[in-house]
Amino acid sequence: MGPALARRLLWTYCGLTLGFLCAPIVIVVVVSFNATEFIQFPPRGWSLRWYENYLGARQWIEPTLLSLRVAAVTMVLSTVLGTAAAIGLTRGRFRGRRVAEFFFVSPMVVPSIVLAIGLYLLLARFRLVGQPLALYLAHSVVATPLVIVIVSAALRTTDAAIELAARSLGAGYFRTLWHVTLPSILPAVLSGAAFAFLASFDEVVLAIFLGGPTATTLPKRMWESVRYEIDPTLTAISTLLALIPIVLLAALAVARRTLTSATAPPAGIEG
Amino acid sequence: MTAGGDLARPVPGGPGRYWRSRQGLALAVPLAFFVALYLYPLSRLFAWSFFSPGFTLEHYAKLFGEPAYLRALRNTSQISLWVTVIALLLGYPLAYLMTVVSLRTRAILVVLVLVPFWTSVLVRTFAWMVILGRRGLINQVLMSWGVTHRPLALIYNMLGVQIGMVHVLLPFMVFPLLSVMSRIDSALVTAARSLGASPRQAFLRIFLPLSLPGVSAGCVLVFLLAVGFYITPALLGGEGQVTFATLIELVVRDLLDWNFGASLGVFLLTVVGTLFVLFSTVLGLDRLTGQGRA
Repeated sequence: MGPALARRLLWTYCGLTLGFLCAPIVIVVVVSFNATEFIQFPPRGWSLRWYENYLGARQWIEPTLLSLRVAAVTMVLSTVLGTAAAIGLTRGRFRGRRVAEFFFVSPMVVPSIVLAIGLYLLLARFRLVGQPLALYLAHSVVATPLVIVIVSAALRTTDAAIELAARSLGAGYFRTLWHVTLPSILPAVLSGAAFAFLASFDEVVLAIFLGGPTATTLPKRMWESVRYEIDPTLTAISTLLALIPIVLLAALAVARRTLTSATAPPAGIEG
Repeated sequence: MTAGGDLARPVPGGPGRYWRSRQGLALAVPLAFFVALYLYPLSRLFAWSFFSPGFTLEHYAKLFGEPAYLRALRNTSQISLWVTVIALLLGYPLAYLMTVVSLRTRAILVVLVLVPFWTSVLVRTFAWMVILGRRGLINQVLMSWGVTHRPLALIYNMLGVQIGMVHVLLPFMVFPLLSVMSRIDSALVTAARSLGASPRQAFLRIFLPLSLPGVSAGCVLVFLLAVGFYITPALLGGEGQVTFATLIELVVRDLLDWNFGASLGVFLLTVVGTLFVLFSTVLGLDRLTGQGRA
């Protein structure tokens, strides 16, 4: 087998794999403009009726607003907690740092169903199940590790000596944090915040268990709907949800480019 | 103490050491939060699983004693193993392709994996229901072509669960592989070639062995995520595909047996925890996100 043929085979194989990854999303986007009651591909007629259905129904809009609120609070909470933890983990020197690192990242791999029943038992005792507060707290448990991972990676590449220099020149802890540390990791903090928002907005399992009958987020409402029937309105909602990561990744790429060119120290200072 | 600390330390034990020892304090609030809302709830599950109200092992005995629960255990390991193998077979060539193309092409390929990766799992699973369902798009096509007269069962069975889970977990295979492969010195492969190795030999004897840490990282990660996965098996699986995660939901919600549910949760947590310890000690935590640096 010649190298050219091998390469073509590799491209074909990987093209199919990428098709497998992307096709379902493309298909849902296309069928969301379907005009008929029955989902068809390709659609025989086009319309925006499923989008109208979504925007016109309180049963969809109220969960959407709640999801936005929960995601916003989660974003703020987990960005603050995650950035503080990342600073402590990367800059601190103390015994058990590796264990702490392990502990703070571990919620990313704990099955959410296990976390959900654990938190249910705890929050039910405080009568918080069904309250938005339960969701703020629970979502922050799974969103904070994302922020920690992203911000820690950025902190490891910035030079801690600059912070020491600021300190030895008389700046206090918070002044150093605000004027030296945070500006240098701002792009990472922003992307951490964005991913925390997204993680909360898409979160399903914790929301099902802790939302109770009253605090229904958009994913919880979708979950309830999808278990009984395939409502074409869901294709419109899915399309809107699929747009979020695309917009987010694009916005982050742009933000990172402008921020790094604006805040990067002159060449030569960085090792 | 690193060089940075020594530089900024005019007197022994001066501000450098003081500064670094105080930096750990930034952890106090996040630590309190995680102990209260993460460590404590999980440790309560341990308590629930062993007491009822006195100390007992009956919940664990039930788990290993009843065929229905053993079947869930078998289903879970079977599904997770298959998903890991398929993800490796699809992911390895893809990660390899990313390392041999130009940086620009690589960026495009990475985005094509990242966008589905960050799309809601619920949306992606729903998409598979639209495609594979009884009146789904594939069955529409097959029936209109006359290939089959009755719709094929593509979901609510093992096939559906595997397709859906491979789709969700494939990026977790690709990114660790890519992070390891992109650090392999391509000069080694070139050297092997110039010493007379065929492309196949150079790949099998040089590149493949050097990429094995990525293979193990990706496999452990995909397997441990698959073991505890809930959404996709719950939506795409049938009655025969009860997994550990869906069993927990069933026991807690329908049977209201929180003690037994807790013991299932503890068991699942032990399996996942062991794999995660293995993953992080052998392979390093930074591989988790594929952002690892040398």
